[in-house]
Order: sequence, then structure tokens, then C-alpha cells
Amino acid sequence: MNKLLLLTLLPLAGFSQTNCEAFLFLGDTLKYEACKIGEKSRGYYQFDQRFHDIYDEARAVCPEWSGAYRAKSTAYLKSGDFLNWKILIDKAVDLDFKLHLGYRAWCRYQFFRDYEGAITDLETLLSKTNYNIGYATNGDCHLKIALAIWYSAVGRKNKSIQTFTDFMNEEDYSPGKFDYFQLGAVYYQVKDYANALLYFNKQSYYNELADNAYYKGQVFKKLGKTKEYQIEKEKALQLMEEGKRLFDVYTHHENQIFISDIINN
Amino acid sequence: MFNYIFKIPLILLSMIKKFYLLFFFPLLCFGQSNIGDIEYDETIDKRDFKLCNSSKIYQYFNNSKGLEYKGDKTALEKEIRSQYKSAELKGETGSIRVRFVVNCEGETDRFRLIAMDSNYLPKVFDKSITDQLLQISKNLKGWKPKSYREDPIDYYQYLIFKLTDGHITHILP
Repeated sequence: MNKLLLLTLLPLAGFSQTNCEAFLFLGDTLKYEACKIGEKSRGYYQFDQRFHDIYDEARAVCPEWSGAYRAKSTAYLKSGDFLNWKILIDKAVDLDFKLHLGYRAWCRYQFFRDYEGAITDLETLLSKTNYNIGYATNGDCHLKIALAIWYSAVGRKNKSIQTFTDFMNEEDYSPGKFDYFQLGAVYYQVKDYANALLYFNKQSYYNELADNAYYKGQVFKKLGKTKEYQIEKEKALQLMEEGKRLFDVYTHHENQIFISDIINN
Repeated sequence: MFNYIFKIPLILLSMIKKFYLLFFFPLLCFGQSNIGDIEYDETIDKRDFKLCNSSKIYQYFNNSKGLEYKGDKTALEKEIRSQYKSAELKGETGSIRVRFVVNCEGETDRFRLIAMDSNYLPKVFDKSITDQLLQISKNLKGWKPKSYREDPIDYYQYLIFKLTDGHITHILP
């Protein structure tokens, strides 16, 4: 569980705590100066005009510092303003794709369900880099798991399963908080109930979720195992009550279920 | 007498607090503007739409509970889809965002609409689509009143409708 907590918090700490000294080390005094101006935004909410004024000041000093554009883009993203968000995040990506392309991919999915755009961004990043591309900005999952989820969402189920399993077979793989559930869901959708159960059980072992118990129950229902179905349904309701469920404060997860889904199915 | 002398610092403190509130609180609150603020527009907004605190409108996720609708997101989607008259309209593809304010009693107003095509460029959708989605958004009555640190709040909510050839494919957030 501690691992999960770390996974959740680290990426959040990552971008907001930009290390300006790194620019100085690289001899880029203008970016350093802009970055130091950006530090004055601490304490202001991302929506606050004063937060944006600070980053506008930073942009004036160094228009090439990508951090200012990304910082400003967040309020637009969180208010669903896709037009202004895209202009700003594109600028950040143009200036430093290694730092922002994976993030843009995730946001395209999380806030706008732009699966195709997210896939293109991540495939581009993977083709241009040979290092670990890391986790989604909220730490929910590795970006390769995200890519597998998006393939499934656009109907590329085989590609999705392959992407999941390739990543899970990597030597240093450690399970994310819902990796096995999401793979189980893909198997469920293609009616491969044996593999669906296999991965739902793995998910139960690592981190049980109401959503996982619900889908497991649905498998039993399909297989005509009424008693097991009822047990999982009760478990799903209990887990939901305890708050052990998929939750995204801004939008919702792929394959996330709600209490009415459990009651009505 | 002793009691009165004892109370003087408290009275002074209370006066300072009132002074601070009267003079500085408005500066703190009204002096701020935020990205995405929706100002009252007398030509389109309800005159009798009341806010609990017009100086501070939160975002729907600020109370850490995300979207809150009676019957959950499932009920919200069902309500929208049951009202939307879907028609095959080639090229009517992209996303439409309707943003509005939910007051502390769960009532809504100040609806604003923006739209984009699949490349995130501004798009003007067929009026039959935008009019419907705006009206459906206005018809939704299940928004839960929210509170922040136990105080009732007004908040901004949005809905994004993702469309392919006039059909709704996704509803966000």
C-alpha cells in the first residue's frame, strides 16, 4: 500500500517542484531566471489571475521556458476549456516534448476522452525515446498501461492485451493500483472469461476494488454461477461503501462503475 | 470594574478583526479574478439566480468529491441521453462544453458554451445540436449542493459532450 501511496504522490510533487538550479547547471540563465519567477506562484491557486500574471512575467523573460505554458494550461484543462488548454500545452510540447508529451497524452484521455490523440502522442514519445516514459501525472498507472487501456477503448483489443502483457512481463514491473483489473476488463469485453477471472483474481490479491468485484460477479453471472455472482455483488456493495473503488476527482476512470450499476446488474 | 478592564483587549481585538474584515476581506475577494469566471450577463442570465457568496465560486472538484449528481454519473448520463434527439449529421464531430454555476441550493444558471472540432480548433456545430445540449443542460435538476469545510458553496460545473456525426459518444467529466 505504501508503494501505491508513493506512486500517487511522486508525480504530483514532480512537476510542481521544478528545480530551477538545473537550468543554471546547464548554463541557461534565462530559463533559470524565468523559472525563479515561476516559483513566486507558490501559494496562488492555478485559477487565480495572479498565478497567471506571474507566469506571463516569466514568459516575457524567457519565452523558451516550457514550464510557464504548462503551468498556465492547467486551469483551462480543469475547467474543460479545451481550446485554450490545447494552445498552451502544444507550446509546452513544442519547446520540450520529452517533458510534456506523455502528460499531454494523459490529459487528452483523462479530460477529453481523445483516445486517438492520446495514442498518437504516446506512440510518438515511445518512438523517440528509449527510457522509461513514467507514470500518468496523477500516478494512477504507468503510461504503457494507459496506452493499453486506450487501445481497448478504440476497439483494438488484441493490441491492448499485447501491450498490457508486454509491460507486465518487463523485468522490473510492479503492479499499479488497477493494472490487473483493466486487463481483466478487456478479457471480459472479448468474452474470454477464464482470463478475465484470472486477472480479476490477481487484482483482488493486490488491491481489491468494488469495480473489480463487480466485474468478477458479472463473469460469474455469464457463467451461470449464481451463488458466486451474489457473493461478488455483495462484496462490491461493501467495498463501494468503504470507498475502495476507482475514483477520479476530475473525471472518471475507464470501466469505472457506480453504485447503481451494482444494484441494477 | 476589574472585569471591564480585563475585557478591553478582547474588545479591541474584536474591533481590529471587524476592521480587517470590512476593509481587507473585500480587497482579497473582490479584487481577485480567476480563469474561467462567468460574469452575470443580464441579457441571458436569470435575474433571480442567487449565489451564497458571489465573491467566491469554487470549482466542482474543490471539495474532493468530484461530480455529484443524484443517482450518480449513471443517472446523469441516462437523463441526458434520454432527452437528446440523435440524428445522423455528417461532419458534426468534435466536442461541446457547457459550463455553468450550481448554487448552494443545487440550482443552476450562467450557462456558457464552447465547441471544438477533432483537432481542438473552434467549431460552430449545427444549431439543432447546440440548442438541444444547452437546453438539456438547463433541464438537469439533480446537482447536489456542495460544501467546503462545512460551509455551503456555489461552484462551477461543466459537461463535455463528445460527438461523432451528431451522435453523443461520451459525456464528461
